[in-house]
Amino acid sequence: MRNILKEKPAKQVVHWSLLAVLVLYVLTGFGITAYRTVELVTFGLLGKALAFKIHDDLIIPFVVLMGLHIYQQTKQTAKE
Amino acid sequence: MKNLIFSLHRFSPTKKVVLKTITFLSMVSMALVVGSGCGTGGTTRLQPAEINEYQGEKLSSINDFRENSIRGPQHVDLGTYKLKITGLVDNPAEYTYDDVINNHQSYEKVVKLDCVEGWSVVILWQGVLLKDLLAEAKVKPEAKVAIFKAWDGYTTSLPLDFIISNNILIAYKMNGVTLPPERGFPFELVAESKWGYKWEKWVTQIELSDDVNYQGYWEQRGYSNSADINGDFLEK
Repeated sequence: MRNILKEKPAKQVVHWSLLAVLVLYVLTGFGITAYRTVELVTFGLLGKALAFKIHDDLIIPFVVLMGLHIYQQTKQTAKE
Repeated sequence: MKNLIFSLHRFSPTKKVVLKTITFLSMVSMALVVGSGCGTGGTTRLQPAEINEYQGEKLSSINDFRENSIRGPQHVDLGTYKLKITGLVDNPAEYTYDDVINNHQSYEKVVKLDCVEGWSVVILWQGVLLKDLLAEAKVKPEAKVAIFKAWDGYTTSLPLDFIISNNILIAYKMNGVTLPPERGFPFELVAESKWGYKWEKWVTQIELSDDVNYQGYWEQRGYSNSADINGDFLEK
């Protein structure tokens, strides 16, 4: 049976999305703990309050994408 | 060995050199004694070490805080410092640091500070009751909010009822030692049961206002104005 989640386009979407989420997660983390620097570097775009909101909201996408990423890398052992 | 004995034997200083050496060493010793504070007649009181336990309760250290102020630690000049009480008061007041700590009843309280960043500290705070200062300033009945302004431009606010009913302190000591500059010397607001951004450091002015919607520095940037520790600090 065809498993669309294990096909190359789906894998690529998950991989790149996971990378983007990870980068954003780290950046917003610094946006909280080193907010003065991050606010300066991002020309005031990423303030501490916004960083908090994004950081909090990213947890579910991160867990979902990580789960999919792990699933896509597992070998199909069951006989089809 | 022979060489050493020979060289020592050869070194025979004159009386003048010996006298000069003794005089010089005496002067150095005296300078050291005077410099160390001994022999001046007075006693230099040293800052005691901070306490780490109070009535069986384990306290955090002053160093357990993370520096997250808007402009970094401030070094307030006590020579020019005044704590002002302004706005909706009949008797606007200006206190020097000594006025506040010497002419008002002091209180101690163990209060936990919870920061929105996820860390917390339990500290023994010593200070004066804000309501004592406000009583001296004779707050007008229409005043609803106290707006706190700091040396670094930071602002926040607390409802007047909350300050009075919760015996909110403005602290000048923590764990038995004077607030260090990075912790808000000369005064830090002890806004118990509120998130850390209400605990203003380096307080310079308390302005009484009837603007219940006043928003301070972080409140303008999306933080909750009520800042209740049991609620979310971000406005939905």
